[in-house]
Amino acid sequence: MKNLINFLIQYSVVFLFLFLEIISVSMIVKNQQYQRSVFLSSSNSMVSEMYEWSNSVVEFFKLRAANDNLSEENTSLKNQIIKLQNQLSILTPQKKDSVHFRIPPEMEYQFIAAKVINSSTNKLQNYITLNKGEIDGIKPDMGVISDEGVVGIIKTVSKRFAVVIPILNPKIEINCKFKRSNYSGPLDWSGEDYRYANLKDIARHVELSLGDTLITSGFTSTFPEGIPVGNIEDFKIKESDAYYNIKVKLAVNFRTLSHVKVINYLNYKEQKDLEKASEEQ
Amino acid sequence: MPVVLQNIFRFILLVLFQVLVLNNIQFLGYINPYVYILFILALPVRTPRWLALLLAFGLGLTIDMFSNTMGMHAFAAVMVAFLRNGTIKLFIAIEEGNNPTPSFHSFGVSAYIKYIVLLVFIHHTTLFLLESLSFAHFWLTLAKIILSTGVTVLLIMGIQSLNKR
Repeated sequence: MKNLINFLIQYSVVFLFLFLEIISVSMIVKNQQYQRSVFLSSSNSMVSEMYEWSNSVVEFFKLRAANDNLSEENTSLKNQIIKLQNQLSILTPQKKDSVHFRIPPEMEYQFIAAKVINSSTNKLQNYITLNKGEIDGIKPDMGVISDEGVVGIIKTVSKRFAVVIPILNPKIEINCKFKRSNYSGPLDWSGEDYRYANLKDIARHVELSLGDTLITSGFTSTFPEGIPVGNIEDFKIKESDAYYNIKVKLAVNFRTLSHVKVINYLNYKEQKDLEKASEEQ
Repeated sequence: MPVVLQNIFRFILLVLFQVLVLNNIQFLGYINPYVYILFILALPVRTPRWLALLLAFGLGLTIDMFSNTMGMHAFAAVMVAFLRNGTIKLFIAIEEGNNPTPSFHSFGVSAYIKYIVLLVFIHHTTLFLLESLSFAHFWLTLAKIILSTGVTVLLIMGIQSLNKR
């Protein structure tokens, strides 16, 4: 008995070491598989508030770029209004009494504006923290876009903050298609450069050219169809391969990302329930 | 207890520096220095080992909370705290009854640099391997380890050379 106690005392440091390392590993493993616990991530409110404070300083220096972006978006929206008004004025007199106008159900979206308060681009698994959360109507699995294009998908939400998995994280693949030819495939990130990602599953017979635009396919309920994802930067195919190896330049610059929109798909629940019900039958 | 106060102060400053400044530096896409580890390297030589381990765990967990990497920094920091005493013994003999704080002055320049380089390298290797969790990105990970270790060591030497004593 005395020997045992002596043994334990002598090696207590080693035991403590092993104990702490096991806790760490179990946390890493848990985080890989399940939803991260909100308390210990950066949607934790103390951590987030500090980030928000630091962001309010840094943001000052980005104001100019943000301004440029906004005014650009403004102009393009105005142009769109004019174009739509013109179309409307052409169409109205002809169909005055026969038209039964309704928005297609898959296009009923609402946007929630949010600000990026923390992000990384140089890890193998990057995350973005937003300053809007549950009380603003954000839920897990909603899509996130910026004025330039697709950013990522909401992972966890706390009361006032939310964490996004961006395209720059191998945990998600975003399904996208070519604007020109409608062929679709999953986009994933190689972990090297925040400007580029790889598109897979595009078969050999598809005709490609450099600069082709990629947009979201709309097959998942997270993103509506037609949001820009990127352009083809380079593509290769070996004699023996059935699929292209395509390098895509992402539309969004993740290093300067500051204002984003979270997509709230209003018919999400109805569509999911229907799909689930038909799977079960 | 000026040593305790000094260490508390160092803990807070290093965490803030790491989280607010260094985590935003993404030089060339490869280099992300982790200078916070200096807190463990600069604990007095005769700090009880259990205390060093617990402090390292707390430090790592704090950094983890800010960078969304549950457990990774905690693991690497505890690893460094565990190997610290052995490393000190490897490079320098501390006299009985002495309890110096590791620095250029107390260790001598060459022993101190060896001590820093070895432990920072261990820390970064553990951390980046945990981050990739596979050898799929082997060369990328290796490049990150070596470049980041270099920058961290330079930063730590810069900070330490500002110390007057």
